[in-house]
Amino acid sequence: MNTLHSNALQRYKLQGYKPSRFKKVGSALLLLLSVFTFSALTSTAEAHDNTKIPRLANGKPDFSGIWQTTSAADFDLEPHSNRKDTPPGPGIVEGGEIPYLPKALVQRKKNFENRATDDPALKGYTLGVPRTVYYPEPFQIFQRTRDLTVVPQFGHSVRTIHTNNTEHPEDPNDWWLGDSRAKWEGDTLVVDVKHFNDKTWLDRSGNFHSDALQVVERWKYLDPNTIEYKATLSDEQVFSKPWNITVILYRHREKNFQLIEDYRYTLDYDQYYPPKPDQK
Amino acid sequence: MSHKTIAATLAILGVIASTLPVNAHHAFSAEFDAAKPITVKGVVAKFELVNPHSWLYIDVTGPDGKVTQWGFEFGAPFGLKEKGISKKTLTVGTEITISGYKAKNDQNFGYAVESTLADGRTIKTGGAQDAPAVQPAPKK
Repeated sequence: MNTLHSNALQRYKLQGYKPSRFKKVGSALLLLLSVFTFSALTSTAEAHDNTKIPRLANGKPDFSGIWQTTSAADFDLEPHSNRKDTPPGPGIVEGGEIPYLPKALVQRKKNFENRATDDPALKGYTLGVPRTVYYPEPFQIFQRTRDLTVVPQFGHSVRTIHTNNTEHPEDPNDWWLGDSRAKWEGDTLVVDVKHFNDKTWLDRSGNFHSDALQVVERWKYLDPNTIEYKATLSDEQVFSKPWNITVILYRHREKNFQLIEDYRYTLDYDQYYPPKPDQK
Repeated sequence: MSHKTIAATLAILGVIASTLPVNAHHAFSAEFDAAKPITVKGVVAKFELVNPHSWLYIDVTGPDGKVTQWGFEFGAPFGLKEKGISKKTLTVGTEITISGYKAKNDQNFGYAVESTLADGRTIKTGGAQDAPAVQPAPKK
C-alpha cells in the first residue's frame, strides 16, 4: 500500500501539481486509494490468501509440510452410501460418475465384489497416483526449486515431481507412480503424470486404470494451511472421456507431528525377525 | 573329511542358501521349478518394464494353430536396460524365443533365463541369484 501511495505522489509531482493544491486533491485521492486497495485486498483474501502462503526463495509457492485429506475418497471416489466396510461419502468425481467404457465397467464391478482381497493397497503395494494424495494417511512434501519429493506414510514409496522444465523420458519404464513433470501456472503447480503400470487401483472399491493412464494434477494453496488438489484422469483403455476429481488437503499442525513408517508388505514376515534360533 | 564334517558343511551351506532369498525380491525357487526347463517361441503381447520384476507376455502358436498366452518373469528394468532391452526393443508383435523354467503351479508362466531377440541377439533376461543356467528343454 505504501508503495502504491508514494508512486501516486511521484506521479502527481511529475505532472506539476502544486503542494497546496495537491494537499486537498491528494488527501481525497489517498482516501479513495486506501478504500480501493483495502477492498481489493479483502476480496482477494476471501478467494485465497496469496499474500501469506509460504514461498520458496524464487517466489514460487512452497508446499513443504505434512498433508492429509479428511474426505472418504479412498473408500470410493464416486458418491456412495455406507457399507459394512465403508463410511458414506459424497465422492470427489466431478459430475458424480466415472465414465467407464462398457468392458471396463464389467471389470470394475468384478473388482468391487472382490475388494476385500484384491485391493492392491491391502497387499501393501505402492498406492500410485493420485491415490497417494487422498489415501487416509498423511504424506510429506519436501520442496526445492528443481523438484518436489512426495513421501507417503503408507508403503515405501518416494515420488519425485520435477519442476526443472524437463520432459518425460523417451524410453520409459512402467512406473508404480508414473513419471511426474511439472510447470507453474502462476501460483498453481500443474503436473503431468504418465508411464504407469496397471497394478494399482484408484480406491478400495475397485475403481481402476490401465497402463495408459495419464493424470494432470493442479496443486494450489487456498490459504497457508490448505491445498486444493485437482486432477484430470484420462485412459483410453478404460474411460470413455477424461474426468476430474477435487480434494482439499489440510496441513498437519499438531506439535511434533511426523510420519510413522507403515510398510505392510513385510508384516507377515515380522515374526521371523530378528531371528530367534533358540525358539524353533 | 569325516561324514560329520561333510554333514556340518552341508548344514551351513543350507543355512546360507536359505537366507539368500531375503536379499532377492523373491527367490527363483519360490515360484519356478528348476526341474522343468522350457523353451518357448512367440510374439510379444505385452511387456511390463516394472520393479522389482519385469514381465513379458507372449502369444505362442501351438502345432495345432491354437494361440496360448505365456507370461515370463524378467529381471528389474535397470538391469534389462543395461543389456539393451527396453519398451522399444520389445514392442507388441516382436518375435522372441525364451529359454527358462516353468512355474511350479504348472500354468503358462515361466522364468526367462535367456531370451533370443528377432535380430539374433541372445540376452540374459533373468535376474534371480538362485536361478540355474539354461538347460535344454525336453523333446516332446
